[in-house]
Amino acid sequence: MAARDYLGEFEQIVLLALLRLGDQAYGVPVRHEIERRTKRAITVGALYSTLDRLESKGYVKSWFSNPTPERGGRARRYFLVEPLGLKAIKRTQKAIAGMLEGLDLQKI
Amino acid sequence: MTKAKPPRLAMLLLRLRLSKAARESVVGDLLEEYSSGAHPPIWFWRQTWSAIGQRYQRMEHLEEEGSRVMKNPFSGMWNDVQYAGRTLRRNPGFAVVAVLALGFGIGVNTTVFSLLNAIALRPLPVERSTEVVSVYQSFQGRIGRNVSGAISYFSYPEYKMFRDDNRTLSGLAASALVYASLAGDTPRRVSGQIVTCNFFSVVGRTPTLGRGFAENECATPDASSVVVLEHDFWRTQFNQDPTLIGKTIVLNRRAFTVVGIAPPNFPGTSLVPALFWAPITMQAALIPGAKYLDDANLSWLEMVGRLKPGMAVSQARADLAVILNRIDQANPPRKSVISVEVATLLGDPDARTMVFAGGSAALFAVGLVLMIACANIANLLLARAAARRKEIGIRLASGASRWRLIRMLLTESMSISILGGAAGVVFTSWSAHFLFNFVVSNIPRDVPGLSLDVSVDMRVLGYAFLVSLLTSAAFGLAPALQATRIDLNSALKDEGAGLTPAAARGWLRSTLVGVQVSVCLILLVAAGLLMRGLQAAQTVDPAFITTNTLAAEFDLKQQGYDDAKAALFNRQLVELLSSSPGVESVAMAAVIPLSGSNHQTSAETGEPPVSRPIRFNTVSHEFFGVLGIPIVRGRGFTEAETKSKTEVKLAVVSESTARRLWPGADPIGKRMLIAKAPFEVIGVARDARLTTLSSIDQTYVYFPAWESGQAKMSLLVHSSDMPAARRHIRRVVDSLDSAVIVNAKSLEEHVDFWRKPSLLLAAVAGTLGFVGLLLASVGIYGVVSYGVNRRIRELGIRITLGADQPDILRLIIRQGMRPVAIGLAIGFVVSLGLAKVMSFLLYGVSPADPMTFAGVSIFLFAVALVACYLPARRATRVDPIAALRYE
Repeated sequence: MAARDYLGEFEQIVLLALLRLGDQAYGVPVRHEIERRTKRAITVGALYSTLDRLESKGYVKSWFSNPTPERGGRARRYFLVEPLGLKAIKRTQKAIAGMLEGLDLQKI
Repeated sequence: MTKAKPPRLAMLLLRLRLSKAARESVVGDLLEEYSSGAHPPIWFWRQTWSAIGQRYQRMEHLEEEGSRVMKNPFSGMWNDVQYAGRTLRRNPGFAVVAVLALGFGIGVNTTVFSLLNAIALRPLPVERSTEVVSVYQSFQGRIGRNVSGAISYFSYPEYKMFRDDNRTLSGLAASALVYASLAGDTPRRVSGQIVTCNFFSVVGRTPTLGRGFAENECATPDASSVVVLEHDFWRTQFNQDPTLIGKTIVLNRRAFTVVGIAPPNFPGTSLVPALFWAPITMQAALIPGAKYLDDANLSWLEMVGRLKPGMAVSQARADLAVILNRIDQANPPRKSVISVEVATLLGDPDARTMVFAGGSAALFAVGLVLMIACANIANLLLARAAARRKEIGIRLASGASRWRLIRMLLTESMSISILGGAAGVVFTSWSAHFLFNFVVSNIPRDVPGLSLDVSVDMRVLGYAFLVSLLTSAAFGLAPALQATRIDLNSALKDEGAGLTPAAARGWLRSTLVGVQVSVCLILLVAAGLLMRGLQAAQTVDPAFITTNTLAAEFDLKQQGYDDAKAALFNRQLVELLSSSPGVESVAMAAVIPLSGSNHQTSAETGEPPVSRPIRFNTVSHEFFGVLGIPIVRGRGFTEAETKSKTEVKLAVVSESTARRLWPGADPIGKRMLIAKAPFEVIGVARDARLTTLSSIDQTYVYFPAWESGQAKMSLLVHSSDMPAARRHIRRVVDSLDSAVIVNAKSLEEHVDFWRKPSLLLAAVAGTLGFVGLLLASVGIYGVVSYGVNRRIRELGIRITLGADQPDILRLIIRQGMRPVAIGLAIGFVVSLGLAKVMSFLLYGVSPADPMTFAGVSIFLFAVALVACYLPARRATRVDPIAALRYE
């Protein structure tokens, strides 16, 4: 089933943000990236519940860095997109591209 | 940019609700971003909310897989809270009305509590206030004891025993409130405390400038005239002059060296704020004409002590009880009980009892209003529960337990009441100041700047929270129980009126209406009686002249006048004033009528002698003329009799006194013994209300003013031009001794003092009664209106079968008014009892005043009738065709 799974809108947005940020992807920059590009306010709750879901599907992996003082002595949780995740986003994009073929949204 | 501190409560919530791993990333992210200072606290809250909401659902999900959910009766509580939030957001009208009504009700309650808190619960404004205890004694049985202040105070020798013999206190200090005359361009009366020299170290408030008192300054009586000034007093009276230390100020004509300035926000340890502190050994200068220090049988000192580290209040109580017991045993028949409590502004146990009694009465009254509001919200919830029958039915059918549903509904009502409580606290934060200022500005006494800290503290918050919980149980429990006791079959089919439950609900609704009506009647009767009392008080005739009369008091005693010097001062004062233009007549008296003070002694009459307490006044011969109190038999005093001692001591008695002491006999020429000295009655004066406005004095005896007590005499001036008279008094006093403080007030102002409390009470009770009435009528309207809506189909059938409009109207009104009538009857009986309790507040009105009872009952009945009639009239307009189709 997982192989045929398409991604939800927000899942795609999050995955794309991780790809853009590369090895700098932890909570704060991810939210900033999304907010800057989509002009949409994102709550930490929404972000982490999506990231957790993506991780449980095997699309991303995460690990903790060393604690830093500006975070009150707490560690950063970094995320990286797994090959499976990359595949999922390509599949979803392809599906959408297929659906868009021959359609001109500007004219409708 | 400075580092922004995240809201502590939000941090706590995050810590409680998130798993450790989630905490690391989520809290870290939030802190990192928030510390940049780019976001307002509300942002932090929004993020917190989103995080704990999402997280929790995930954890809940996992828990269910492990089937642990069934075992914990409180699992899913968070879901309930969120569900309640969503329900309320979907019904904003209901939520806003309920929260505002509760907020007002709870706010009024919390306001009254916060005043009580400020007077009697809040610890003293001292260092580590929970370590500081106040010590009092209560005497048992009758005991001859001299009192200056309250009988529960201590004498100086007693204080020294407690100070030296206790083993639980690191320090024990004593203090007494004094009033002194401060010399200056305009002499002024200032309040202060005389204290033992360890006072500042015991309360832990070291003067910010200069020093406190040294032990040796309390060694010798009258030797160390030093003073510490209150911070604000130093700022306003002495321009914050730092060089004041070492200089002298003059109190009671005595030079005191300023040695220190107390730290800010320390008004002393008594309800009356102290402007200065002086060593206790300066008693003779600051309480002139009395020797207090050596009198072992005089109550005049309040004691505060600091517990040794690790000591509990109960240990100190046991320790000090031993010492008090020793004092008792050395002085039979003395018998007393120690009272040791964490110190508050009002420590005297007797005064506390009175304040708590009054406070409970006030809390009771505002509690009634809250009760009416609760009944209304319970009714709203019942109506909503009926509308949610289907939802509840589905939940029950799909396996939810009844407890689970009750909990869900209770969480909803608790959310409403907690929001209401929060609104109430906001309301209190300004209303308490408003009420306090209102009360103070309406007490025209020379209370020197009575100041209380009525701000919201943890105790007030806790009280508001407790009241909120209680109210949520009061309005939420019954509807929740009712709503979940439904017949699944009919509920799911959405049949209009399931028979048994609907009847039961109807019964509950009627009970709520009955309670509202009876509580409302109680409030209105109380308000009505107070207003009738007010009306009587405004028109009550004190039976002496109060218009165009000034009463002036002087501080001759504080200025060091002895009786001979005072007599000369008074004689010259009267002579000079009598010849002033505009002044019609002048008299002297020891007690100003209705000023709140009175003199009492006991008189022996008859054979065998019977001793009776009597009130008395010492007056000059013009007194009866100035106040217009006629001598109805015999004669008044002559000028000669009030200036020099006569052979036989003379007295004029009031009519009531004559009737009580010599019933049926002519009092003229009769004798009475006062302090073993015989007095002869030479005249009878007409009765008057001289001590309190509420009643005629049962005994009142006048004595001519001789030499003794002259330093305490007051002046009464009759003049058609009061401002001019005021100026003349000041001018004449200035010419005699410019240091003397004059405190002149018209007798009208003194009379007003007696009218003000009933005015205040009537205003407050009237407001509460009106609010109660408003809430109750809304409740009646709602219940009847709801009943009509539910029965539209039945009414349609009745109309189809030939019932005419008056029939329908009668039916609805009869059923709507039944609980009202029952409520009225119950309220009537309760009010009768309550009125007896509050009879001491009523001037010239019987507690069973028929006007009030009949008027209020009829009025309330009429309002209820209108509230019933409006929906009933709607019922008569039911279109039978539409009604039969109505689901």
